[in-house]
Amino acid sequence: MEIACVIDKRLAIPPRPDHAGGPWSGRADLRDPVAAAEATESMVRALEALGAGVESERPGEAFFALDGLCGLYGGSPAGVLAAARGALGEEKAIATGPTRFAAFLAAGAWPRPVPMAALRTRLGGEREAEGLVEARERLGVETVAAFVRLGTDQVADRFGPRGREALRLCRGEEEPLRPRTPHEELSEEIELPEGTAGRQLDRALELLVDRLLAAPRRRGRTLLGLRLGARLAAGGSWSVEQGLGRPSAAPRVLRNVLAPRLEELPGPATTLRLLAVGLGPPAGDQLELAVGGGEPRRRRLGAAVREVRAAQGAEALLKILPVDAASRVPERWAMLTPFPEL
Amino acid sequence: MPGLRRLYAPQRVAVRTDPRGAPATVEGVAVEAVREEWLVEDRWWTPQPLRRHYFEVATADGRALTVFRTARAQRWYRQRA
Repeated sequence: MEIACVIDKRLAIPPRPDHAGGPWSGRADLRDPVAAAEATESMVRALEALGAGVESERPGEAFFALDGLCGLYGGSPAGVLAAARGALGEEKAIATGPTRFAAFLAAGAWPRPVPMAALRTRLGGEREAEGLVEARERLGVETVAAFVRLGTDQVADRFGPRGREALRLCRGEEEPLRPRTPHEELSEEIELPEGTAGRQLDRALELLVDRLLAAPRRRGRTLLGLRLGARLAAGGSWSVEQGLGRPSAAPRVLRNVLAPRLEELPGPATTLRLLAVGLGPPAGDQLELAVGGGEPRRRRLGAAVREVRAAQGAEALLKILPVDAASRVPERWAMLTPFPEL
Repeated sequence: MPGLRRLYAPQRVAVRTDPRGAPATVEGVAVEAVREEWLVEDRWWTPQPLRRHYFEVATADGRALTVFRTARAQRWYRQRA
């Protein structure tokens, strides 16, 4: 499989002067995360419009498989890349490779032999990854090729699970691409008068949630997650993502999860923006015990009882059965009995 | 009945008493004060009557416990209720 990597050069961190290497894409622009997210979204949409299934987990970075697209664009990867370049514009670097890591190295024009610094944004936790890279550099393992030569046992001994993960990455053993499901953007924005704070900000959030839920484009679907963002009066922006745990379209649920995040706003804002990160099944299907009367509630409770019993054993779920609440002897007040099957 | 279990069932506990017969230590921990005591007599009309002397005590390690002594066997139990 041939994978393409696209890097938005405006969002990439340039290589450190003391390190040989290419840009480290995918680091959030801390000063203006909203603009970074918007630029990434428009890049991903442009690729999706070409028919690509796009995976994008870091700002300014996207991956997609070329195989299914060649037939649409002249039968070769070169045709797909030309179409992508045309759709994306000048400031995007694009290259291909047999794995994500290989494509990333090619797009960032990393030198050969590849320095260990290339791994920095490729592993799960960034701080741990940096520690790992620095530890290897101290040990004299300066290139990816030297690291691979260490072998599995030595890497596992010296660097633990994170080291094994890095080794798999360097050997090209990667998980398959996980393209996102293309979705239309559902977002609302509200302008804030100067000096809005405290309760007024809560009220603005309330309005924003109501508007988002009332948007006809939602077509009754639930929300899976939200991104709350603000443009700051002092310049720059702020943004935070909030998952919902389960799909919901209940205004109270949305407000309750978002209100505490407002406290993280670093300063006065001029606009507040709310974006649906993913859309779930229509509201009628969502797991809410109070919806749909007694029968669905009983069915869900029955499923939950069976699940707990299967996981924890038959005795795991009991109910308190009142026996003789008026007795003067406490052990006669109530019994524990197996929770009935529903 | 299988699967039935009593809630608040009494648990045997080691109690030393003072000359008056009230708890002085519970499981080796000194009793600071007896906050309340009462008698429970029940099922006296059956062949197995129940007679318990309850004490609600505060122990030196800051716990509030309820213990009782059975009249017939003079055994001590702790009861959470």
